[in-house]
Order: sequence, then structure tokens, then C-alpha cells
Amino acid sequence: MFKNYVLTAWRHMASNPLFSFINIFGLAVGLTSCILILLFVRGELSHDKQLVDADRIVRLHSAYISSDNPPFRTVRAAGRMMEALRDYASEQVAAGVRLLQIGPTVIVGDKVFNETFVFADQSFFEVFDLPFAHGSSESSFNNPLDLLVSEEIAVKYFGRTDVVGELLTVCCMDGQQLEVKITGVLENLPATSHLDIDFLVVMQPSMFDFAPNLLNTWTSVNTYTYFKLKQGFSAADFKERVWYWTDHESPFTQMDMVEGNPTEQIQPNVMAVTDLYLNARRDAGNMGDFKALGDLRMVYAFSGVALLILIVASINFMNLSTARASQRAREVALRKVLGASRRQVALQFLGEAVTITFFALLLALVVVEMTLPLYNEAIDRELVFSLASELPLLALLVCVAIGVGLLSGSYPAVYLSRFLPARILKSNQSGDESGSQRIRAALVVFQFAISIGLGICTAVIYSQTLYARSMDVGYDVSNKLVLHGLSSSEVSNKKQVIVDQLIRIPGVESVVLSSEVPSQDNENNTGFRLLDIQDDGAANDDIILNYYNAGYGFFESYKINIVAGRGFDKAYGSDEVIPVAEGSETAGRANIVINESAARQLGFSSSQQAVGKVLRADVFRAGLQHLTIIGVAEDVYFRSLKFGIRASVFFNHPATLREATITYNTTDLPGLLDQIETTWKAIFPLTPISHEFVADMVNAQYQEEEQQAELFAAFSLLAVIIACLGLYGLASFTAEQRTREIGIRKVLGARVEDIVRLLVWQFSRPVLVANLIAWPTAWYLVSGWLESFEYRIGSSEILMQCVIAGTLSLLIAWITVASRAIKVARANPIEALRYE
Amino acid sequence: MLKLHNLSKVYRTDEVETVALNNVNIEIEAGEFVAIMGPSGCGKSTLLNVIGMLDSPSSGEYIFRDESVGQYSESRLGDIRKRSIGFIFQSFNLIDELSVEENIELALLYHDIPVKERNARVAAVMDKVGIAHRAKHMPSQLSGGQQQRVAVARAVVGKQSLILADEPTGNLDSAHGQEVMSMLQQLNEEGTTIVMVTHSPSHSDYARRIINLLDGHVLTENLRAVG
Ligand SMILES: Nc1ncnc2c1ncn2[C@@H]1O[C@H](COP(=O)(O)OP(=O)(O)O)[C@@H](O)[C@H]1O
Ligand SMILES: [Mg+2]
Repeated sequence: MFKNYVLTAWRHMASNPLFSFINIFGLAVGLTSCILILLFVRGELSHDKQLVDADRIVRLHSAYISSDNPPFRTVRAAGRMMEALRDYASEQVAAGVRLLQIGPTVIVGDKVFNETFVFADQSFFEVFDLPFAHGSSESSFNNPLDLLVSEEIAVKYFGRTDVVGELLTVCCMDGQQLEVKITGVLENLPATSHLDIDFLVVMQPSMFDFAPNLLNTWTSVNTYTYFKLKQGFSAADFKERVWYWTDHESPFTQMDMVEGNPTEQIQPNVMAVTDLYLNARRDAGNMGDFKALGDLRMVYAFSGVALLILIVASINFMNLSTARASQRAREVALRKVLGASRRQVALQFLGEAVTITFFALLLALVVVEMTLPLYNEAIDRELVFSLASELPLLALLVCVAIGVGLLSGSYPAVYLSRFLPARILKSNQSGDESGSQRIRAALVVFQFAISIGLGICTAVIYSQTLYARSMDVGYDVSNKLVLHGLSSSEVSNKKQVIVDQLIRIPGVESVVLSSEVPSQDNENNTGFRLLDIQDDGAANDDIILNYYNAGYGFFESYKINIVAGRGFDKAYGSDEVIPVAEGSETAGRANIVINESAARQLGFSSSQQAVGKVLRADVFRAGLQHLTIIGVAEDVYFRSLKFGIRASVFFNHPATLREATITYNTTDLPGLLDQIETTWKAIFPLTPISHEFVADMVNAQYQEEEQQAELFAAFSLLAVIIACLGLYGLASFTAEQRTREIGIRKVLGARVEDIVRLLVWQFSRPVLVANLIAWPTAWYLVSGWLESFEYRIGSSEILMQCVIAGTLSLLIAWITVASRAIKVARANPIEALRYE
Repeated sequence: MLKLHNLSKVYRTDEVETVALNNVNIEIEAGEFVAIMGPSGCGKSTLLNVIGMLDSPSSGEYIFRDESVGQYSESRLGDIRKRSIGFIFQSFNLIDELSVEENIELALLYHDIPVKERNARVAAVMDKVGIAHRAKHMPSQLSGGQQQRVAVARAVVGKQSLILADEPTGNLDSAHGQEVMSMLQQLNEEGTTIVMVTHSPSHSDYARRIINLLDGHVLTENLRAVG
């Protein structure tokens, strides 16, 4: 029986090449998209699942909520929290560990690289039972400065993985150059791990006594803090304990900065490691995580797209099969006369549908195999796909194929099997009823609604990206090269030396220093209090403002206008912040520039009014300072447009300047870079240079959105192609069905264009209706997406995209149908009328 | 009205070559009623199609109303056709999805005629062929005779001066056949030229002239007085 079905299916495919092509190709494209998206989704969902006891490992996040500022969130926690919570909630916590990232330079022989070290409490392996390539947690991670490296790093420096006992020179810890011995080698972490560990060092808290804001603090949030919970406790259980502690037992209850319950302002969050990748995005704020995070919305969006594409391809199948039913009505009738039951006929058609789907699946697997590297590059992932080793996946795909086959075949099967043989054989009619035509029209509507909707979403994503790019950030990005990492210990003492050398290079216009350069998303917050001229300030509250450090010439270099007062100027001599001695009673004095937003937030009615006023603040690494506002800078989008403009204060505190911006006026970039690198190497032989163009940094801010837009565009293009293929097929069959009518019309004087118009209009109606459905749906979806942007395109822009997508959909439908209709309309009418 | 001079039509399909018309010379005057007879496959329909400009001759000359239309483009032929020539088929060839009224109107749709006049003419012609009471019916609800009357109405609603009828009574019983024939006769008396293919000698009696075809040749032409 089955063989008979496969045989008839095969013969029908062979005898209807157009139909078969559209079906197999359409389904194959649909399945290919599905598999690719499935791989992506599977990858996104599998993050950190490989960790031992993954379900019991959690991380502590921090959030500071205040009424007059956006919340400050980070996935890190204050250094003292780990021990306090571990001991307080000991009934729940099995172990805890803090991780601290430090970026030194590593020297092995002639190899010098900037690296990231992770310093961890010795309890690290109690929480993360990571596999060793060489060594073990018992023998290799015991003493302060015991160093583990990943296999990748071992190979990078030594060309082999067995490197236990080898020495590395590290520069520098608290100004000291260290020789460190490798005590073990960790297996490389999979791409799906949120942890990013190249070097893992046993941390002794006293190592960081020189920087109390790292470990010995309740308020400075710099450590990644993990706990392993005891069996039976969840992240939610632990979070409840953490909140209780915060409100009742924590030192925050004693701090005068807090009124009411501490949790009104300090809101720790506890998240399971397996949730981090897709859910930590909000908690991560703008400081980020170890690695780039995923986006749950993308997972949903792409799963949805995969499903939609599959539906579009299935609809083709249904439509073409029922349309073709007229041709097969006689076959069905005859089979029934010969004794086939309705069930058998239905089974036959389902069998054919599943057979075709399997052909499509085979084709799709081949295409996936071929396109995966390209796809990986496009989405920046390392997805793997090998059927042999993935039987569950293969089984799933086969199920999907059968499912699609049954879904696509069910309607034709039910519909065709219903034909009453007597009526069809006697009346010699096609058996195609107006009811089924209406269902086909409805399916075409649905198909096009999906395509148009995807088109609108794509267009909106694109125009939002373009809009963000075209927005004037307010500062000058052209001809600027940034040197990073001037805070590294070899460099930090000789910053002025390198600046003086660089400025001598021909083609270099200026070299300015700052703590951040525009487009870097760091956030530095501290409280500022406005001092009335003679008053002690008791009347004013602290307000939290962001701050940056900018050296002389910074505003001029970036062409940021000073709208009142002046910028930092060496001529005045006293603009720099000079740290006061620890424990000093008297505050230091320094000058600051604020931006317009800060002036507003401080309550000044004009920028001019702010000039000359004094703020008081505890300045990072400089103690208590009285800060005179010497100027107000215009608001610029210093950070990514995603976050908007922050009210900011600019200090000129030389110790914190770690970025150098070189403005050049030459077109010989290779030559310039060469000279800069030579200059750098001569002064800092131990520190690799790290440079970047400001224009590239600004562009990088939109990279994620652009990638999303491109992917969306690719998939919606596929959906449109499949839908058009279906429409073409349907138009062909309809035209075929209407040949007699077309013949009559032509005999009566209809011209080719009359006939084409007739057919085109028949297919324009469903596309018009599809637009009616697609617009509001797409509108709803994209408005939700746009919400996440501080600066976004308006509704008139969305409407325009709708109109464009609608017009395009009609044009495409017209071209598709007309290309077929013209052929039919040109045919000699007597051909259609002769055989009767 | 029209003149065929040494006209031939050859069909080529794959390796087979069929001479459907072979050096045919025929002249038909305006107002004539001509019957074409002959065995099946002798080229009657082909002749009608060529006269109706639905098919082009392989060689020879076709003069329609003093114009040699042999080299005319398809759209130009279409123009002449829709203004001057009406068709009636053995199988009626009505459009199933359109009502009687709409089927008739279809013949005016491709002319530039205002809606009002169109409706008036459709109504008038329906009266004339006695189908007005079925105006809103679908073709499938009518008997064969009624369907053919609709087809006749459609053929003349554009005031065509030449009607080509290919076995118009072939699918009808004799009573309905008579009905259609008398309608054609009436049209002829009103001045319409009629060229009709038929197998029935009794129906060919309505014609003033009978052309007998055999294998694409004109075998005989009998002019006869109508009594
Ligand atoms: N389109 C065509 N292609 C090939 N042969 C044709 C075609 N139309 C008609 N013929 C052949 O031409 C001859 C005349 O056909 P036709 O005019 O239909 O005959 P009649 O109407 O007298 O029965 C027949 O042999 C027929 O098979
Ligand atoms: Mg014939």
C-alpha cells in the first residue's frame, strides 16, 4: 500500500514539475530556515547548562533605585556581601565565591599580551566544578597566586597544553612585576558558558588592600558573586533571605543615606546561572557581563519567524494541492468507484504530502550543512550541526517534517477524499467548489499578511538603526584615534611623556586625555551637594550625578561647545583635582565643568547662573573636595543613544585619565599608526598598545541592532519568496482553470491587457486584505520593540514603512501574477474552446 | 462582405502535418445566409475560425469588407472582430460564474459603451430572443435551448453584421434546434450575414447557399432558392 502511495506521489511530482518545484523548494526553504533558527534557539537556551550542579548555582546582582535618577543596575555585587550572606544564610548556602577581573600584561619570552585575569576566592571549585586538563582542584588551587590557565592560553604562549610548572611574568600588581607559576590547566570553556576565564588566580583578600573599593566595601560593586545553594533551595528562596537580611540585619540599616527600608533603594537580585545568558540583560545595565549576553526577545522573535515561515510554506502546499484537485478529481472518483474508501483516499494524499516533505527535508539538510558557516558568521555564534551525532535532533526534524506533511496534506486530503464519484464522472465538472476557492483566498491572505508583517518589522528595525546612526551625537568623531589602557602601571606614571612624544609626530594635531571617551558606556556615580555661597550646605540634599575626567583640551578636541564660562585651561593653573590626604579635615579645592543637563538637575535656570557656584563631593581617590563650576558644556550623547544623555560632571583629575585621543590631519593612516606604535613601544616595551578609531567605536554601538536587522531581513525575504512562489503557482492553476472563460472573453473582444487585469485583480484583493491585517499587527509588535530605545522613530515613520511594504506587496503580487497571466492571455482562444 | 482567395491552412504538430484547408476560394455577400456542410474533420470549423479571424491562414488572401486583413496585427483583428463578428458555438460557451444578463453584457464590456446604453441593449436583445424572464439565472439553471438563445443574444448584442455559427444546433433536440434556426433566420431577414456549419440537411435548408467541403476542398457550391 505504502509503496503505491510513494509511487503515485512520485509520478505526480514528475508530471507536474512546476507544482513539485514550488512545493519542494518552498518547503525546503521553510525547513532550512526552521533548522537554522532551531539551532540558534537551542544554542541560546543551552547556556551554562553544562555546569555541574548548574541548577544550584546562583549569582548576586545589585540595583540602586533612587527617585531622581534612572536606576543603577549591575550583575556585580559589593565585596563584603559574599561572606556576610554565606554566613547569614548558611542553612541555604553550600559555598560562595567572588570573582574579580584585573587586566594586566603577560610576558612569556618574546610574547607580550594584554590579558584578563580572574581572581577568585579559594572556594571557586566548591561552586564551579570545572574540568581540568592538567592538575586538579585539590592540588592546583591552594595557595595565593596559584594560577590556572585555559588550554587555549597554554597553546597561545607555549604551543602545548601541558604547561604545569611554567612561569609567566605579570605586570603589574600594585606596581610590582610578578613571576607566577602555572599550577594547572583548565579545559576550554564552551562557547555557551557565561564565564570567560583565561587565567584563574587564587585570591587572597589582603592582595587588594591597596584598593579597598574592590573587596573591602559594602557599596562599591566590583565583584561577580556566586553561591552554590544546598539541595532543595532555589534562587527565589535565597533572594527572599537576601532581602530580609538587607532590611533587618545588614549594615545598610545603619547607614544614614537610607530612609525607610533599605530595600526601597538597595535591591539585590539573585539569578540562577542557567538564566543569566538570556535574562541578565536588564540587571547588567550598561556595564555588561563577562561576555555579551543573549536576548530572550530575540529567541522569541526568531522562533516566531521560523514558525511563520513554515506556515507560509505549508500554505503553499495546501493551496496548490486543492487547486490542483480539479485535475485529480477524476482520479479520486475512479479510485472510489473501484472501491477505495474515503479513508484510503485521504491516506493516499497524506502519504503524498509526507513524501514531498521528506524530499524537502533532505534538501534542507543539505542546504543547512552548506550554509552553516555563513550563518554562524552572520549571527556571531559557533553553532554545530552534525546529524550523525545528534539523533534526538534528527528525530525531532523527522517529526517536524511529518507534522508539516500532515498539516499541509490534511486539508487536501479531507477535501479531495470528499468528492462524490457519480457527480464528478457524470457532470464532467472540475469539482472545484467556490468554498474551496474561498479557503484558498483566505490562506493567501494569511500568507501575505505574514510576509507583509515581517517586511514592516524589518523595515522599521532598519530605519530605527539608520535613525540612530544619523542622529547628531554632538561631538566630533572624525579623524580620531584612541589609545586605551593608560592606567596600566607601566604607563600611568609616564602619561605626559607619551603625550609629549605623540604630539611631535607629523600629522598629529592634538593629543588629549580623559577617563572615558565618548561612546564608552561606563557609568560613574557619586553624590554632589550644592553649597550656597556662605552656607555650610545643610539646606541642600545630595544629588547623584555621573562624572567623567577630562584633561586639558578635551572639549576643544571633541568640539563640544562650552555654552557658559570656560573649559579646562592650563592658563588658569588650578583646574586640576589634587587629592587631599587621607583623614584630612579640610576639603580640597578644584574646578569642574558640568553639562547642561546637570545644570538643570542642580536647579539652575540658565547655564550662566551655574557658573561660579560650588559643589561638594567625595571624589574618587581624591577625598572631599569643594568644586567650583567654571563652565557649562553643551549636552552631547556621550554614551550610546540607547541610554540618552546623563547629567554629568567633568573633573580634571590626572590620576584617573586612562584614554588618549589623538586627532590627526593626515590621510596616510598606515604611516601614522606605524609611527604611533613605534613611539609607544620605545617608551612602554612591556605594555602592548591598544588603539581604536572613535568612528569605529561609535559604529560598534549599533552592531547588535544591525545584525538583528540583517537577520530579520534575510528571513523575511525568504518568507516573501516562498509566498510569491505560492502565488505564482496558484495564479498558474487559476489561469489554467479559467482558460475556457478567458477564451470566451477573447472571442468577445477582450484584449491581452483586459485578461491580465482580470487575473491580477483576482489576486490583488487578498493582498489588500492581507495589508489590513498586517499593518496593525506589525505596528503593535514594532512599537513594543521601539520602547527599548530612548530615541526612536515616530509613528509617521512606521506608517510610511507600512505604506511602502503594502505597495511593494501589491507590486510583487502583480508582477508574479501578471507574468503568468500574460502567457495565458496571449494564447489563441480557439485552443481553449475547441475541445468540448 | 468577405472573400477568400486561394486560402490554405496547414496545422503542424510534431511530425504530423494536417492540411485543414486547401486552396479555398469563397466569396460571401452581405446579407447572405450560407451553410457549410461536410464530414467531420473536413475543415469546417477551421474555415469558420479563419473567417472569424480567430486563426490566421497559412497562405492565400482574406479580404474582409474590401480590406486585405492577412497582415493585420492581432489587436487590429480583435478590433474588427469585436465590432463586426458574433460567434455561436455548439457547446454554447457561456461563463458558468456569470448570470444570463452578465454573459450577454460581456460582449459589450470590451466596447466603449456607456452603462446605460449597455443595459438597454442587453434588455432589448433578451426580449428579442425571449430570455428576459431568465435574466438573473445562471447558465446551469437553463435548458440547452435556452442557453443557446443566450449565446445568440450575446452574438448580436454588439450589432454585429456577421454571425459565425459552428453547429449551433448540434447539442439540441429537434424542437429547440428549430427554435434557434428560426431565430437565425429572423436575424438574416433583418440584414445580418450568417455563416453556419451544420450536419443537418433540414437546417441547411434555411440557407440560400450551401458550401460542401471535403478534405479541405470546396466540393460544390449550390445556390438555391428559398421557398
Ligand atoms: N489546432 C490544430 N492542430 C492540429 N490539427 C488541427 C487543429 N485544428 C484542427 N486540426 C485538424 O484539421 C482538420 C480539420 O479540423 P476541423 O476544421 O475542426 O474539422 P471539422 O470542424 O470539419 O470537423 C482535422 O483533421 C483536425 O484534426
Ligand atoms: Mg467542427
